[in-house]
Amino acid sequence: MFQLAIIKDTIPLLPATFSVPAEKALTYELNKKYANRILHDVGLCICVFDIIQAGEGKVRYGDGCLWHKVNFRLVVFRPFKSEVLLARVKSSDNTGIRLTLGFFDDIHVLEGNLPWPSAFDPNERAWFWLPKETDSEKAQWEDLLDSPLVERQYLFQSDVVRVRVTTEKFYDVEPGPPKANAAAPGADERRSPYVVTCSIAEQGLGLREWWTGGTEEA
Amino acid sequence: MEVVNARAALLSNYEVLQLLKEHEAEQLAHAKAAFAVKKEHGTDLNAALPTDEVIENLRTVEFEAIEYLSAPFQPTAQQSAEGISKLVRSLAPESLTKAEKLQIANLAPTEPIELYVIVEELEERMLDKMDDILQRVKDSLDDSANANADGAPRVVTEAELAALAMDIDGDNGWDKDGNDDEPEYVDDEGAFEGDLDLDDD
Repeated sequence: MFQLAIIKDTIPLLPATFSVPAEKALTYELNKKYANRILHDVGLCICVFDIIQAGEGKVRYGDGCLWHKVNFRLVVFRPFKSEVLLARVKSSDNTGIRLTLGFFDDIHVLEGNLPWPSAFDPNERAWFWLPKETDSEKAQWEDLLDSPLVERQYLFQSDVVRVRVTTEKFYDVEPGPPKANAAAPGADERRSPYVVTCSIAEQGLGLREWWTGGTEEA
Repeated sequence: MEVVNARAALLSNYEVLQLLKEHEAEQLAHAKAAFAVKKEHGTDLNAALPTDEVIENLRTVEFEAIEYLSAPFQPTAQQSAEGISKLVRSLAPESLTKAEKLQIANLAPTEPIELYVIVEELEERMLDKMDDILQRVKDSLDDSANANADGAPRVVTEAELAALAMDIDGDNGWDKDGNDDEPEYVDDEGAFEGDLDLDDD
């Protein structure tokens, strides 16, 4: 789930921090710059692990800060493909389920990755799985929504589920150059810069209680 | 800014939890010390250092990550450094990939179905060793029940850190069980929010 990334960066230290030992000041500035932010193609940065090497501070023309070239290691969150994680259900809608880890929210399970057959119950606003239904003819939502409530395995908010990561996507959210036409499409949705998609379609995945005792819930 | 290596090493959940807890304990100690000094000397003889301020982003991600990793559904809280290294060493002779060993350490499967999910093609590769592996995982968790009894730093709640940051009467008689998420003494914004809060009790 977590990895170490080695990064090189140049950090300015303000004169007010000159009394603090450089290592501490640099770690502080690095944490301020990277913590809880997403680095493209690297992951969600958690905190600085350590500083491998830092150069002497150099003064630039025009400001009084000491600029240090720093090599450091950063703890990042980036689950690898087909890794199994435990996550909580945050919300569900008719396209799928959104999961959260507390510190990271953008984990999605899309409809196609739910155990078969599943349907979305708009009254409960939750997805449910119908393990007893084996007839593919009757696996349309209308039929599934007619099923008896006791047979439905619901996935409510805050349920803990085991999921397998299928894909991850980094989006570049930098604002592009100003467009000539006023109707710039860039301003419509705010996409998260890092999205992870998972599946709960296999045996052993989904709500943990579905599989305890070693026997399948059927 | 240059990324030299985006994946230099893999970390287990346990390692990350220890790192974050240590960091949080340091910050708490530092905040307490700074607060004590401030109380003694009144207002700034020496102005507060910029590095004394809490980094909100760091605090948020630290708090949430610690909460997630120490959650009751995670085995991380019952693990120990010796337990995990013993477990990984004992798994070395099996033909498991690095990723699978890491996942076994992170998820601590105690049921066969959990192991099926982690290890691909379990039947072909090591059906007979399955129980053995599960037993080793259980052992690594049991060991740590003793190891954790000594001096693991108490997880600090958000309320406590916030309480120290705000100027209270130095009264440490807070409700420390972490169930409060609102300090008794709130600043103005807090008071208004509380008054206008119409939702469930």
